[in-house]
Amino acid sequence: MPNSTDSSTPGKKLTCMEMLQLILDGEATPEQQQQFKSHLDECMPCYKSYSLEVTLKELIRTKCNGSGVKPELIEKIRSQISQNLPH
Amino acid sequence: MTDEEIQDVPRQQYTEKEKAEIFDTEFMPHINSMHNFAYRLTFDEDDANDLVQDTYLKAFRFIDSFERGTNAKAWLFRILKNSFINDYRKKSKEPAKVDYQDVETYYNSDEVDRQITPDLRVELLQGMIGDEISNALNSLDVDFRTVIILADLEEFKYDEMAKILDIPIGTVRSRLHRARNLLKEKLSEYANKMGYKNT
Repeated sequence: MPNSTDSSTPGKKLTCMEMLQLILDGEATPEQQQQFKSHLDECMPCYKSYSLEVTLKELIRTKCNGSGVKPELIEKIRSQISQNLPH
Repeated sequence: MTDEEIQDVPRQQYTEKEKAEIFDTEFMPHINSMHNFAYRLTFDEDDANDLVQDTYLKAFRFIDSFERGTNAKAWLFRILKNSFINDYRKKSKEPAKVDYQDVETYYNSDEVDRQITPDLRVELLQGMIGDEISNALNSLDVDFRTVIILADLEEFKYDEMAKILDIPIGTVRSRLHRARNLLKEKLSEYANKMGYKNT
């Protein structure tokens, strides 16, 4: 278990899952990152959880990003904006 | 965010040319992300388009409230989220909101470290090459769906999410943690239904 405290709640020790989430979301301090990295070398359950979370995050990013807007919507918005501009 | 709230910030005084520049260079580049967010909130193409259009028109109307160089994407997402709550959620068929007290209680309990989906493996996730991930995300309650979209898809930071959603950072973290566990539970169900081997 990484021996790090929660910056939002000083004194409160972070659990592995809380630390994992901070790492995953790019919110961990360099010190926390180093601690967690060392921890992963010696804790298989945390290593597996981390790998799973990283994979899931990447899959969400690549598979849920939509098909984009149709050009008509962009035209419609621009048209409405230009009607509101003083000429 | 009501119109009054948008206005309740120091106002800039942009020229018409500057307004057009800001709109084109800072607002419009986010329109695909905005549309994806709108669609995943409403599940209706017409409603999503209306929501995006309303958001952009509102952003332009209150462009003097936007400080150049600040996070335009977060500002736009906040307007869209509030427009959804105020104008669209009322008529949607979304179930009642979950009780977040339960969520907080859960987060602060020993259950947090419980391995919820011991059978969900990396290889199994990578084998989901169809719409499983997207469908699982869509099946979540709107508030859980929203935090996953903001964090994992749009890569907002916790403090930005807190501002977009009007909730404390601690709540962002707990809601995100719960949302990810629910998503994994859903994917595990899919895997079992589809007969994926878990060992």
